[in-house]
Amino acid sequence: MEYALRVENLGKLYAINRGGSPSAGSVREQLARGVDRLLGRKREAEIAYPITEAEADAAAARQKEFWALKDVSFDVPAGERIGIIGANGAGKSTLLKILSRVTSPTEGRVEIRGKVASLLEVGTGFHPELTGRENIFLNGAILGMPRTEIRRKFDQIVDFSGVEKFIDTPVKHYSSGMYVRLAFSVSAWLDPDILILDEVLAVGDQGFQKKCEERMRELTKDGRTVLFVSHSMATVNQMCQKALYLENGRVVSYGPVVDMTRDYNRDVIEQIETAQAEKFGSEWRWHRACFDLPDNRIEVLSEHPGAVECLGGEAASPSGEVTELIPIDRPTHFTVRYRVTRDLERPLIPTFNFYDEVGTIIFVALPETTMPGAAGDYAVTCELPAFLLNTGRFTVNANLSDFRDDRTTYFGVVSAFRIEIDEPSDDVDMRRHGFRAPLPGSFRPRLRIAPAERPGSQVVPKAGLRASRA
Amino acid sequence: MPKEMTVISPDRRDEDYWRDLWRERELFYFLAWRDLLVRYKQTIIGVAWTVLRPLASILVYTFVFGILAQLPSEGVPYTLVVLTGLLPWQLFSLVLIVSSDSLLSNSHLVQKVYFPRLVIPLSSVVVCVVDHLISFLLVFGLMLWFGVWPKPQFLLLPFVTLLAVACALGVGLIAAALNTRYRDLRQLIPILLQVGVFICPVAYLTSLVSPKWQMIYALNPMVGIIDAFRWCILGRTDIIYPPSILVSIVFAVVSVVIGIKVFRKMEDSFPDMM
Repeated sequence: MEYALRVENLGKLYAINRGGSPSAGSVREQLARGVDRLLGRKREAEIAYPITEAEADAAAARQKEFWALKDVSFDVPAGERIGIIGANGAGKSTLLKILSRVTSPTEGRVEIRGKVASLLEVGTGFHPELTGRENIFLNGAILGMPRTEIRRKFDQIVDFSGVEKFIDTPVKHYSSGMYVRLAFSVSAWLDPDILILDEVLAVGDQGFQKKCEERMRELTKDGRTVLFVSHSMATVNQMCQKALYLENGRVVSYGPVVDMTRDYNRDVIEQIETAQAEKFGSEWRWHRACFDLPDNRIEVLSEHPGAVECLGGEAASPSGEVTELIPIDRPTHFTVRYRVTRDLERPLIPTFNFYDEVGTIIFVALPETTMPGAAGDYAVTCELPAFLLNTGRFTVNANLSDFRDDRTTYFGVVSAFRIEIDEPSDDVDMRRHGFRAPLPGSFRPRLRIAPAERPGSQVVPKAGLRASRA
Repeated sequence: MPKEMTVISPDRRDEDYWRDLWRERELFYFLAWRDLLVRYKQTIIGVAWTVLRPLASILVYTFVFGILAQLPSEGVPYTLVVLTGLLPWQLFSLVLIVSSDSLLSNSHLVQKVYFPRLVIPLSSVVVCVVDHLISFLLVFGLMLWFGVWPKPQFLLLPFVTLLAVACALGVGLIAAALNTRYRDLRQLIPILLQVGVFICPVAYLTSLVSPKWQMIYALNPMVGIIDAFRWCILGRTDIIYPPSILVSIVFAVVSVVIGIKVFRKMEDSFPDMM
């Protein structure tokens, strides 16, 4: 297949310079170095002729080098939309800067087929003293749009930005919203083969953001290749087909966007929690099928400490086998044990909140009946049926409240359970009909999909529906 | 239609560079246009400043050097001596200041978009040249006032302008490149220019320098430029030192060549330095 972009062993070496602007050495130091060279003096260390101790430190720091990117290779087929993800400092911006030729690589090679437009920010080169009209032309020229093209698209740009009334006012009098809207509008009408975007979508108010997203989607249609850097996994998932996952300047993996964003999310959680676990000298695991409190790795929220104490819990199969890896065709029982230390006025309501892997709440399970508020030890079980959740990882918070004022929480165990729904073999769900790839979404309920009862019948007209009910 | 292919690698090829530079001629035009627009926005008398600024200097220098110090002017009205020294000098110093500062003042562009960076200092020169041309109103006015009629060599003035721009631009390119690394130059250049007003024959005639020193004096490339300018307007060869013009031409060529070389060599590091 024809590629639009081929990156081979790309690397970028930076010399770190702590404090001050990057690598802007002082003339004094350079002069000292020059004098040394003239006199044929040999410097003993790599450190440049130190004049004061502070300057010696600075010089030493300047020698430090690091690879912002190293051994990065990937191909982008023409017309594909690629997301670039990774934590801050992973090298995403450096990669975009190299691809848009702002900075040159230290090693490696990139081949690009077609015209590139890169938007590392909106409104590059906008000048506050110039009017909106003047800035459109200036910005267009900077982004590589010929004058004739700008003139042709001028009305569309102004129309899109919604600042027609102020188009002949210097942009320094614009509100910041108007400013970014105009700035984005120029970029929105670029017409390259390859579009490089660096999180410029989030500008303006909600209405304008919608417009931008639509325009972006339009732009990314018809065979345009797009490289998109973002920290929003949702946006990347929505806009891209594949993703490049970078970490510390290296490629972790490159593949389907769903897998990449999932891996990235998992790694982020792991990193945070491993550090947490290390503090307590224990090993970290994501999965958690049972817990005993107190456990300083588990966060327990409470608005009435002391009244009720959560003791622990486990996720188990109906036969009582504790398991964190749950086959999709088997139900699971989440049991939580707690102690009410003194008689409470109101009955207690246990609830279970289910979250997907990225931490979005997917539903809250409320009980059929309440639990008594009298002192004593209790256990409560929440039954998760088979074929409700899709495959994947889920987190469950266990809470106990009396719902006074709609809240009053006796305890809320954050991430009490962390389970993974698994689809062990191909023949578990006959409904796949041979489809092998992962199915998207949080749920996989077995809804009845069958031939219509009256074959060939048309949509029932509304009047008819009412009549039949009557 | 086969799509054009771009290769990015640590070593960029020269021919690609000049091709890219030619392609960005529109950007050159827009940056120059921006500088021109911005220069006189929010001023009441606008372009008139371009005439008033040198006029003020001319009056001061004429008063100090011509009337107070009574320096010899070989029969030329002292105002014209100062006029013909000041205009090329102002062109030179403005080009030097603006071009050496151009990269830093456009750092946001350098860090966000790719184009051959030479576009920036080159386009910054346009505003200086336009200023220079406008100040010719002063030349015509004062020539009329003192009854000096243009000689044929008046037509050679564009060449002198080019010479002044080239001398300043070559140095300016080096300064602009170094400026990204050592901000000290930003402080240094205005000082050099302050001294330069007195070292160069801005407010006096070259013939004031004793003949045995004139050869050494003429090593200063500005001497040749100012002398050439004076000759074009006043048409007198006795008040200038003609060989100095040759020095200026050589200096202009050498400085532009070296300037471009240094600039090109450091260009890749600009975005990382700023």
